[in-house]
Amino acid sequence: MRNLVLLFMISGLFLVFACNKDEPSERFKLLTTPVWESDSLLANGLDASGEGESLANFKGEVKFNKDGTGNFGSYAGKWRFAQNETEIVILTDSLPLPLATRIEELTASSLKITTTSPINNDAIRMTFKAKP
Amino acid sequence: MRIFLSLLFGLFTFLLSAAEPGIITGRVSDQSTLEPLPGATIIFRRNQGTTTDSDGNYTIRTEPGSLSITFQYVGYKSQTSYLNLKPGETVIMDVGLEADVTEIDQVVVSANKVEQRISELTVSLSIIRPELVSGGHITNTQELLNKTSGVEVLDGQASIRGGSGFSYGAGSRVLALVDGLPILAADAGNIKWNSLPLENLSQVEIIKGASSVLYGSSALNGVINFRTADPGPRPETMFYAETGIFDQPRQRNWIWWDSPRMFSSASLSHMQKYGNTDISLGSFLIIDNGYRRLNDEKFGRLNLKLRHYSRKMQGLSYGFSMNTNMSKKTDFILWENAETGALKHSESTAIALRGSFLAFDPFISYRKPGRFQHDLRSRLQVSQNRFPESAQNDSRPMSFLTDYQSWFRVSEFVSINAGLYGYASKIESNFYGDHNALNLAAFAQTDITPFNRLKLVAGVRMEYNELDGESDKLVPLFRAGLNYRLLDFTFLRASFGQGYRTPAIAEKFAATTLGSVVIIPNPFLKSESGWNTEIGIKQGIMTSSMNGLIDIALFYSQNIDLIEFVFGAYPEGLGFRATNIEASRVYGLETEIMLNNSFGRYNYTVTGGYVFMYPVEFDPMTGLNTDVYLKFRRKHSAKLNISTSYKRYELGLGMYARSRILNIDDVFVNPLTREAILPGFFDYWIENNSGHFVMDATLGYKLTEQLNLSWVIKNLTNAEYMGRPGDIQPHRSFSMRLSGRF
Repeated sequence: MRNLVLLFMISGLFLVFACNKDEPSERFKLLTTPVWESDSLLANGLDASGEGESLANFKGEVKFNKDGTGNFGSYAGKWRFAQNETEIVILTDSLPLPLATRIEELTASSLKITTTSPINNDAIRMTFKAKP
Repeated sequence: MRIFLSLLFGLFTFLLSAAEPGIITGRVSDQSTLEPLPGATIIFRRNQGTTTDSDGNYTIRTEPGSLSITFQYVGYKSQTSYLNLKPGETVIMDVGLEADVTEIDQVVVSANKVEQRISELTVSLSIIRPELVSGGHITNTQELLNKTSGVEVLDGQASIRGGSGFSYGAGSRVLALVDGLPILAADAGNIKWNSLPLENLSQVEIIKGASSVLYGSSALNGVINFRTADPGPRPETMFYAETGIFDQPRQRNWIWWDSPRMFSSASLSHMQKYGNTDISLGSFLIIDNGYRRLNDEKFGRLNLKLRHYSRKMQGLSYGFSMNTNMSKKTDFILWENAETGALKHSESTAIALRGSFLAFDPFISYRKPGRFQHDLRSRLQVSQNRFPESAQNDSRPMSFLTDYQSWFRVSEFVSINAGLYGYASKIESNFYGDHNALNLAAFAQTDITPFNRLKLVAGVRMEYNELDGESDKLVPLFRAGLNYRLLDFTFLRASFGQGYRTPAIAEKFAATTLGSVVIIPNPFLKSESGWNTEIGIKQGIMTSSMNGLIDIALFYSQNIDLIEFVFGAYPEGLGFRATNIEASRVYGLETEIMLNNSFGRYNYTVTGGYVFMYPVEFDPMTGLNTDVYLKFRRKHSAKLNISTSYKRYELGLGMYARSRILNIDDVFVNPLTREAILPGFFDYWIENNSGHFVMDATLGYKLTEQLNLSWVIKNLTNAEYMGRPGDIQPHRSFSMRLSGRF
């Protein structure tokens, strides 16, 4: 009986700990603090930021807001981390599919992501610099 | 002096008689079958009692005098006898208890892992009787469950009260058990439907709601426990042979065959007691040409259960169960097109499968019914999925589990149920990669009866998981419930239960291409978790000609991090990837009714149910509902079964109605992907997603006391309806079965 009571108490403690809200991670802070500006937008290794090209709409400023909303060039939508914060998933009505991008580099001044084009399956690499 | 001597003699006589108690001994058995009732409770005088041994025998030594003795056993009517016991006398009192067959007193084990009356449960539980299996010519477990109120199986994935959608065959939020032990595939995490022994069923018990405290991962949404039958006092042999044919579908341009589509099946089983040993043997064989092209199956199953009751140690029994099967089939994945190819399996996804399965379950049990029970059970499960034309999809999962459960009565008012559970699996696969998983758990639950009409339950479980040597955090789970007997046949209940599910190996690591479908692994998947609560009332119905019950439950469930296969653009390419994406809430109401009625020579049985659900996504950040319906759920479902017997004839009618599916995966409606994935589906869906109504009719004729001939028409009105996208359900079929019981 004593062991049972102990088990209940231990379980209760775990529940209390499980209920604690996590603090924002370092990656979350790094991503959401600056306004990012597109530096290079490559599809299959070639620049695709020109007018009418596949990544033209990502050109300009990108902001990942703390509440999960964001502006990604001319797109507006939502974003979230995935894969243990190694990916950023961008959801916007302007794109036909969820866009999961792998974070290749994330520092206070630089963001590099790669993914696949939801339109034509091209390999995409986008780099952004933090606006001063 | 004479008076003194008389008093002395009287005192001496009294003392002598007090030192010489009387003995009452006998056997408690079932009145009709004469089978002994081990663990029957015998109460005499005030608060004195004993229980019968494994052979139903009992002995009471007590002071002489007049006394009443009450015999009680779960599922039987209590019986009280009176006698005047003389000093030193031995009275033999054999008692035959009458089975209490009222619906409200049905005995179940799944809800608390010990025998209980269904009326005393704190959770919703439905029972499927084996008669539905044999009477309805049901050879497929999924079909059986789809005819149960509140349950829907979409292409192998079970959902109870809207707890699950469809996740392409990976993982299950419903845990299937055979005699209390899980029977999930170690790799895909789905239910091994073909391994469930329909030919040797005692009953199927379905817990509707999170049951992870007692059963761990996968019981997030509920539990389906297939209880196998044990031999009675007389040997029993059962068999059937059946053949059937599919009619033509409503859309004649879907017909692709030149010769009739036939299916045949047969089963033979035998149960017998040999002294102190019970033996049950079962076999099943099916050859199904299928109503769809490239979707046929040949399958055979054997099962054996052997239990030996110790002569030396009363209450001790041990033995093993074995279940093995082999299959040669092609599972249906995608159709060719909606216009002419809805019943043609797309060749791009048609891959022949050779499967084999073996489960070996040794067990040992030591029980003093009413006082304590210890059960140690294990299962070694080995299976092989071999794809001769696509060896990269082969897998060889193997698992071993051990479940120890101890129940004991602490006092008249309190009992404790505690246990340990361990599960280890090893998967060798090109499809998933090679993996090792470990799951350890401990649980404890207490049942308290503070006063006669009230029962309280509270339980806790700790779960530990490890995958490929990496530990996950400990998961604590809780449940609580109460049952209050408001009137003699009226029971109120309320419960709360937590659930969780660790991702299946298939969800984390599957990496393959099937036709136009690319699957991308996700090793970062987290466990799903949630809870549910319900309040309910169960009303027994007892008249001179009718018995039955009505059950009404209001339920609510909430889950987060539910895993879905999401089609998207990923760094690895375009494809499906399992993702913790859905946060769900289901609000609902379920009613069930069961009535048995006798009217002269006619006997009627009516069973029915209706479920209303509001299944909606919510935003875990804000806690608000989003008004987006959960995928692959419906708002309404209803069923009604009526069966009657007169002399040698039996007639039955089953009716099943479901409203439209509220939402499906974006990939099937997205203009960019829908035609590439499932040609013609979107237009078909828009036009035909309006719900369905299906009827089955049965006719049986008793040739002799042992032999029965029966005919079944499934889908009498030839309704055209779809399960998950592209999965057109069987059109009308006719079957004939000869069955026997000796």
